[in-house]
Amino acid sequence: MIGKGFIGRESESVVLKIKMEEVRRFADAIGIPFEGEVPVTYIGTLLQPNIPGFDLTNPGMIHGEQKISYQRQLLVGDTLTFKSVIKDVYERTSKLGKMLFVVLETTGYDLAGDLVFSSSSTLITPTKGDVDEESV
Amino acid sequence: MRSLSNYQVSDRLPSREWVPSNVQIRQYAEASGDFNPIHLDDNYARQVGLGGMIAHGMLTMAQMAAMLSEWIGKEGRISKLDVRFEQVVRPGDTIRFGGSVSARSGNIIVCDLEALNVKEERVLTGLTHIIQQ
Repeated sequence: MIGKGFIGRESESVVLKIKMEEVRRFADAIGIPFEGEVPVTYIGTLLQPNIPGFDLTNPGMIHGEQKISYQRQLLVGDTLTFKSVIKDVYERTSKLGKMLFVVLETTGYDLAGDLVFSSSSTLITPTKGDVDEESV
Repeated sequence: MRSLSNYQVSDRLPSREWVPSNVQIRQYAEASGDFNPIHLDDNYARQVGLGGMIAHGMLTMAQMAAMLSEWIGKEGRISKLDVRFEQVVRPGDTIRFGGSVSARSGNIIVCDLEALNVKEERVLTGLTHIIQQ
């Protein structure tokens, strides 16, 4: 089970080109006209990092918060190097019971090494009391 | 159309309505690569306590971004979009996106955002920074 020990775990850096046909497919799926611009939330499609021991499809895991900041506009044809890191892991008790919060930060840099975007995702999983308290 | 320069603090943004369908959610799963079964398998979503399938939070956020893009057109760009998913959104729900200008500083317009369902429950809240170009 994921716990505080996961803080700092990183994915490998991935290099990816923003492709016209993929952005168009994304725009079609969200139901907006595609006019060559990359929708702000497109980077969400990149945020499925391979971090050892961390599975985004844990049963019942839901998305609590999402923050996206751009230093400049992301363009079709850009090549980005991006990487994710687990920034925080904590537990809270809500009306639905004990929940585990995982904060995942992803950054994307262009070929010049300049930051293009940063993103922070808070993912929430019900723990049903089966978490080792000391590990969280 | 009203220019971005004319928007002042407390002005409302043009709103947008959206009704997600099962087809759109599946299309989004395919386009985004997020095949978490809570979005695609009703039985699975019930088993994990969600009461049935829910739309991807990122799909709801994309609709908020679409509302902002329609509003700003070529006059600005979104430099920041922060949201909190307050309630689940299900296929067939009618969601209304809106917001208002909370601050202006130089060429940056800061807006508070919210999306409501027909019960007037907030399903998403957030803020955005628009850079006027």
